[in-house]
Amino acid sequence: MATTTVREPSNAFRTNLKQVRRSVLLWLIFLPMAFVVIIPLMYEFSMAFTHESKQLNFPIQWIPDPITLSNFQHIFVDTTLPIIRWFSNSLLVAGVGTAIIVFLSTLSGYAFARLEFPGRSFLFSLLLFSLMIPAAVTLIPSFLLLRDLKLLNSYAAIWLPAAASVTGIFLMRQHFYSIPSELEDAARVDGAGRFRIYWQVCLPLVKGSMVALAIFTFLGLWNDLFWPLIVLSNRETLTLPVGLLVIQQGSYIQRGLAFSGAFIASAPALLFYAIFQKKIIAGITTTGMAGQ
Amino acid sequence: MTTTIIPKTIQEKTSADMSWRRIKKQLPNYLFILPHFLFFALFILYPIARGLQISFFDWKIMLKVQQFIGTANYQALLNDKVFWQIMQQTGLFMAYTVVFNVTLGLLVATGLKHPFFGSDFLRVLFYAPSILSVSVLGIIGIRVWDTQLGIVNYFVTTLLNGPRISWLGDPGMVIPALSATTVWWTFGFPMLVFIAGLQNIPNQLYEAAKIDGAGPVQSFRFITLPLIMPTMLFVVVTQFIAHMQVFAQPYIISGGGPGNASRTAVMYLYETAWKFFRFGYASAVSVVLALFMIVITIILFSVMRKRAQL
Repeated sequence: MATTTVREPSNAFRTNLKQVRRSVLLWLIFLPMAFVVIIPLMYEFSMAFTHESKQLNFPIQWIPDPITLSNFQHIFVDTTLPIIRWFSNSLLVAGVGTAIIVFLSTLSGYAFARLEFPGRSFLFSLLLFSLMIPAAVTLIPSFLLLRDLKLLNSYAAIWLPAAASVTGIFLMRQHFYSIPSELEDAARVDGAGRFRIYWQVCLPLVKGSMVALAIFTFLGLWNDLFWPLIVLSNRETLTLPVGLLVIQQGSYIQRGLAFSGAFIASAPALLFYAIFQKKIIAGITTTGMAGQ
Repeated sequence: MTTTIIPKTIQEKTSADMSWRRIKKQLPNYLFILPHFLFFALFILYPIARGLQISFFDWKIMLKVQQFIGTANYQALLNDKVFWQIMQQTGLFMAYTVVFNVTLGLLVATGLKHPFFGSDFLRVLFYAPSILSVSVLGIIGIRVWDTQLGIVNYFVTTLLNGPRISWLGDPGMVIPALSATTVWWTFGFPMLVFIAGLQNIPNQLYEAAKIDGAGPVQSFRFITLPLIMPTMLFVVVTQFIAHMQVFAQPYIISGGGPGNASRTAVMYLYETAWKFFRFGYASAVSVVLALFMIVITIILFSVMRKRAQL
């Protein structure tokens, strides 16, 4: 009797101990890695708040002394670097672009998952096949097309090609599949047309994955450098990543300026990530799975 | 089958009638895919064909009428020593990056698969660099690899007592340095996808292997690796396509230098088109790059499909 009462807690203790040992062991492996990931980020943040005259200090001062906003003051005062304008441009580009992509992806994703029409599987494999064609081939013709349409230097030059993206369709299709068809049948019996069924019955059921798609798309457009670099050349209309390049290159060799610009671009994105990390990570894993 | 009782002619007539009526009823469904398809046709399908066409012209953006020159661009490309050097470098960059991203991603995923104290935090942390814009990555990268003031040399000299290495100035070092920067930036994605893939492997398999006396290395080798192959295929293919088209890291961090030592295929394409305005030649570059990539993708698919079935 006495032995069993003693043994029970010791068993629990043993498994507990085993878990603690596992945690410690894994942390021993992951701690150096975590450092490697954190240090460059810390460096960026620390340099953004380090005075220009101390940017070249070596060894590196990890905590700026004094912590100063002078880089930010410089960047906000300099009229040749309209960073607030770039920031709002990026918000606009990413916001509208996201709305377009999410809407079109749900429309097409719904059709490919739930509706029947001749050539459906052919059209779908056409979309799949296009994933194999590297984007590099479409750059020049898309640029020339936008030039002929007189759309260069406007945000339509970013939104229209973005609207052609196909990955969102795969994600949405995957989620529309999982809706039980009884729901649609019931709505049909009640006399709802196909657009109402899509809009009022099915869309609310995939809200979660719509949000996930919206988050990625937004981050992708917010961060994109290559295409805006090609189609935007007016300094006022640049997006933030292209603007950062202007600060980094050009005649602006001030280190602190570049770091404070980088901070302005990355801090909101990282904050956004910290808030929505669960959604973002869940979204990536389902997209990854949908991709297979 | 009840349909066999109905005489064939009637059956055909009704089925043709039915299918026509069905198609007519299905026609409005096209409206759902039409908006996207318009953009898809305009900015993906048409550019593919158009790109092929332009590559046969001596395309100059200012000219009204472009001059057809047949395969001259391709012939020039064949003899373009810089291009082939660049293709090799790009391939090297891609190989380093994909191998490290995939290996690191899989190993870290194996460690993080089962929750332990702080595992969620590590998962979030390891994906955090992927949130940065490549412009921010570039600004950080320049300073990190700086010979005099960079963090890497800071640790090399203070911790390891090593010499200052000219990471971005040495033709042999610049590609590994850019690749390491890219791995730091992007390995979180394969890691997350692998975690999801690993969680789909039934735990009973590992338990059974344990009873049979398999150690962790053996169960990784004989259970994890074969069963993760479909995920691996997806990751390797998407990573290959992404990193073969690397542009911004060398463009910002090393400027393609020293000399041409870190110039990549898409960077060459960009400069040929938007710096020197040789759109025809740049199109030929893009077509050769695309063909190369499609061939490798098909090879990857067939090789890894076979292994996944084993």
